[in-house]
Amino acid sequence: MIAIIGLVVGIVLGLFLTPDVPLSMEPYLPIAVVAALDAVFGAFRAFLDGIFDDKVFVISFISNVLIAAMIVFLGDKLGVGAQLSTGVVVVLGIRIFSNVAAIRRHIFHA
Amino acid sequence: MADELITEEGAREPARLPPQAAMGLLDYLTTHAMDEDYAFVSERKETAEAPEPERPRRRIGAVGALVMALFAVLVVTAAVQTSRNSVSDERDRRELVGQVDQARSQLDGDRALLAATQGEVRRLQSRQLRSDTSAQSLLSRIELLGVRAGTIPVRGPGVRVVADDAPGADNARNEVLDSDLQKLVNGLWEAGAEAISINGQRLTNLSTIRLAGGAITVNARSLRRPYVVSAIGNKDTLPARFAETSSGQAWLDLQREVGLQLKITPVSSLRLPAAEATLRYANQKDQGGAS
Repeated sequence: MIAIIGLVVGIVLGLFLTPDVPLSMEPYLPIAVVAALDAVFGAFRAFLDGIFDDKVFVISFISNVLIAAMIVFLGDKLGVGAQLSTGVVVVLGIRIFSNVAAIRRHIFHA
Repeated sequence: MADELITEEGAREPARLPPQAAMGLLDYLTTHAMDEDYAFVSERKETAEAPEPERPRRRIGAVGALVMALFAVLVVTAAVQTSRNSVSDERDRRELVGQVDQARSQLDGDRALLAATQGEVRRLQSRQLRSDTSAQSLLSRIELLGVRAGTIPVRGPGVRVVADDAPGADNARNEVLDSDLQKLVNGLWEAGAEAISINGQRLTNLSTIRLAGGAITVNARSLRRPYVVSAIGNKDTLPARFAETSSGQAWLDLQREVGLQLKITPVSSLRLPAAEATLRYANQKDQGGAS
């Protein structure tokens, strides 16, 4: 419940403040969002499994976002930014899908 | 979840390969989709504490909510940024299109004004000069020069020459190039043509035939194939005399070797338009101002 309240508060804050992203950070924002999505779905699955832990969630969320952004940044510097972003999105996408599958099994028992 | 814990433990046995190596990357990714830390931490706590049916640490705390809020801010910011960018891109594009349209219409207006002014000048000239006989000879001289220079529309018999790429042309070798058109026009002048236009662009003493941006450009207007060259002259002798010139020979070779198409048809009456020829720097000796 408190998580949903946090989500709603965050959406409202984002909509009202519309923080300006610095131009240098702009290319890393979408990949950071995908990484954050992966962390959130992983946390939700852990919650349903009954092994959720606040500290793990915080750490996995922040490290996911930072590492995804860093990989893309490194790729940009090496000239393979697009390919590395694709790689990150593929890996995170597979994780998200299998996490959602596990969540589905929990909720619908199917 | 239970089997995951088993694989976790299996991985820790020294005799077995790590799961990444044994399972292949994709299988590993799907079985370990959730961060292993959750399982690890819960396992550690389970061994440390006595297992309870309801454990408060399994609930989402304020920190978790804070991270959820952070996540929401991140998502909303990304979405807002993307939509804002697309809107500004679209606006830039529209603005550019508008500027191009405006410049084009202004250019058209200027061209029309120029043509109207030139017609007015000619009309005034003929009215002024028709008064006496010396002026009349001057007038006919101006008209002759205008016809020669291409600033006056002319009508007369001649030939229509249609030049086109070889059928199925795919590279510069079997397309009509600017140099081919130059040869064609040179040959026609040599054969006795008195006025020539290409696709409605009258050739003047200032005209160029050149390749610009992949298209042949005459009088700074880009042309599209097929190239229709209208030449006023003796319609009976022009084709034969053209074939005798070196340019005609070159075109014969082009037709035979590369497959370029060239069709010459005599026409009893051709109309060639006038061209814009504005001189800014060239003055007559006895006149001070620009012509």
